[in-house]
Amino acid sequence: MKRRSFLKSGLAATSLLAAPAMLKPAFAAAPVTIHGLKSMSGAFASYGQFAEMGSKLAVQDFGPLLGAKPEYVTIDTEGNAGKAVRKVQEAIQGGAKFFDGCTLSSTALAVGKEVAKGGGVFMTPAGADEITGSECNASTFRWTVPTYGAIQETVRPLAKAMPKAKRWYTITPQYVFGEALLTAAKDVFKDLGIEHVGNSYHSMQEQEFSGYLTNAMAAQPDVLLILNFGGQSSNCLRQAVNFGLKKQMTILMAWTAGLDQFQTLGPELLEGVYLGAQYWHQIDTPANTALVKRVKEVYGITANYPLAADYIGTKVILEAIKKAGSTDGKAVAKAMEGMSYDGPTGKETIRAQDHQVLKDYYLLKGKAKSEMKDPDDLATLVSSGQAFPTGDKIVCKMA
Amino acid sequence: MLNLYMFQVLNGLGLGMIYFLISVGLTIIFGLLNFVNFAHGAFFMIGCYLCYALLQVTGQFWLALVLGPLIVGALAWGAEKVLIRRIYHLPHTFHILVTVGVALILQETAVIVWGPVGKSIPIPDALQGVVIMGKFAYPKYRLFLILFSAVIGFLLWLLLERTRFGALVRAGSESTEMVSLLGTNIYKLFSLTFALGVGLAGLAGVLSGPIRGAQPFMGSEVLGIAFVVVVIGGMGSFSGALVGGLLIGLVQSLMTTIWPEGASLMIYGAMAAVILLRPYGLFGRA
Repeated sequence: MKRRSFLKSGLAATSLLAAPAMLKPAFAAAPVTIHGLKSMSGAFASYGQFAEMGSKLAVQDFGPLLGAKPEYVTIDTEGNAGKAVRKVQEAIQGGAKFFDGCTLSSTALAVGKEVAKGGGVFMTPAGADEITGSECNASTFRWTVPTYGAIQETVRPLAKAMPKAKRWYTITPQYVFGEALLTAAKDVFKDLGIEHVGNSYHSMQEQEFSGYLTNAMAAQPDVLLILNFGGQSSNCLRQAVNFGLKKQMTILMAWTAGLDQFQTLGPELLEGVYLGAQYWHQIDTPANTALVKRVKEVYGITANYPLAADYIGTKVILEAIKKAGSTDGKAVAKAMEGMSYDGPTGKETIRAQDHQVLKDYYLLKGKAKSEMKDPDDLATLVSSGQAFPTGDKIVCKMA
Repeated sequence: MLNLYMFQVLNGLGLGMIYFLISVGLTIIFGLLNFVNFAHGAFFMIGCYLCYALLQVTGQFWLALVLGPLIVGALAWGAEKVLIRRIYHLPHTFHILVTVGVALILQETAVIVWGPVGKSIPIPDALQGVVIMGKFAYPKYRLFLILFSAVIGFLLWLLLERTRFGALVRAGSESTEMVSLLGTNIYKLFSLTFALGVGLAGLAGVLSGPIRGAQPFMGSEVLGIAFVVVVIGGMGSFSGALVGGLLIGLVQSLMTTIWPEGASLMIYGAMAAVILLRPYGLFGRA
């Protein structure tokens, strides 16, 4: 009995002594947590679901960071700026510093301000020019190409490919984002000597486009430029095809959501339609090939825009934390400024002046069903390129 | 040559017939049951998804056109038996509370079954293409929709005005108690009317599928339009739904040329004008 109790106490003592050594790696540093701001419920839930997959994958695949495995938490923005801001405030009070996401520009702008107040870092794929323009701030970074580049990289190459198409008609949602796309388009029209034969504004709630399409038919344009996005652009294109417009004119949708929207529309509607996109899974770069392969392995789907955008956004924050060697918000933001890396669209650079990521924007063309090699092979790459306001044209004045 | 405004009038009539179909079920239910059904839009959405699902399985649009509304009607009949009939006697706020709940359940069910990303529904082969009118083109499918809605409208009118069932429904809307005392099983009549009204929402959903596609969140927009039409036409009035639908379709279509930014707004403008001039709607009774 004595020997047994001696052994027992010896074992206990050894394990006690060994415990700090065993626990050391776990307690050496608190893990870095990335908070994903995703619209998991509400009208934009389809987007949030893919965006979350992207951020999760980036964190999961990023080895140890500052001595610990990074962690990931989703905050459901519910596609609502007010709710998102409240939840972000709560998270910041709880010590959160690093945020990635926000589908909607209104949410991204509001959240960006909160994160800046809290001295954190926020990377977003939202579209409004103001994010890296008039309302830029020290904490907010944006991956997507804003309206100027989207128009430059779609209208210009298409006009070049069709020199005889001199009459263009536009359909525009009447609010800041649509207005920005329209202004950018008008500038290009002027520059290229294109006649802008008409524009139909519509409200943000509109889902019935037959009236606007009738206006377009009456103007007899060569090209119909659709400047709305999301569900509205899907319905607008669907109804345009129903009205036989594809046979009468070329259709360009300058701002699409990419693959998930194309899957909804299907090849019958998309065939022959020109489509502007931030990302396409067939982009031939090493980082994209790796991402597409990894997404297929983990999720069994083809990588799409929300997934890729939030994957790279999250990864860039993690890389910057590593580069800064600290979780201090200012130091990490500093590390991100001017950073160049291999992204899914090739070499991507974060411009220090306005925190805009300089990356390609793509012009795609919808394929016929017979040309498709697989169900996601819905479009072919026509051209790509970068266009960003430079010099005096950069609106952002960092405080 | 056809001028732009004339074409917008034609397009407005087409839209109006779709709006009539969307709202006629709502007004029938309100007229007889004095029941406000906020799940109307959600049942429309289910009709749209059934069109998609039945097309996937059978490849037959015409089969979907028959089965879709029947399934939606059956669902409504079940919901009425289990839930809705228990709250008829309560104030309208309870009707809204319960039917909004039903709408949310249907919406989330659609997300679970078909996913949050919308679906496109192809136009049936026989109705592909357009009819050319000068420099304008009008989809054959929309022409079919106008004619089909007119036929459905006529059949409904026959049902409500020329059959025993219709007579009972109209009598029931005047005095439920009296009809009941005369020996009619009023609960059965209520169930059938509710199923008919909601089935019509399902029918509108199936027919709208190829124009709008199916989306889980489309119900609320449709509900908004349906209420505007019903309020303009007069709550519970069949002819009101027809005239209200056509009026809204025309206003919306013409305004897209006259004042495009305000086309959606003017729908509500028209409603406000009608309410100011005739508080109970064009065909409503005090």
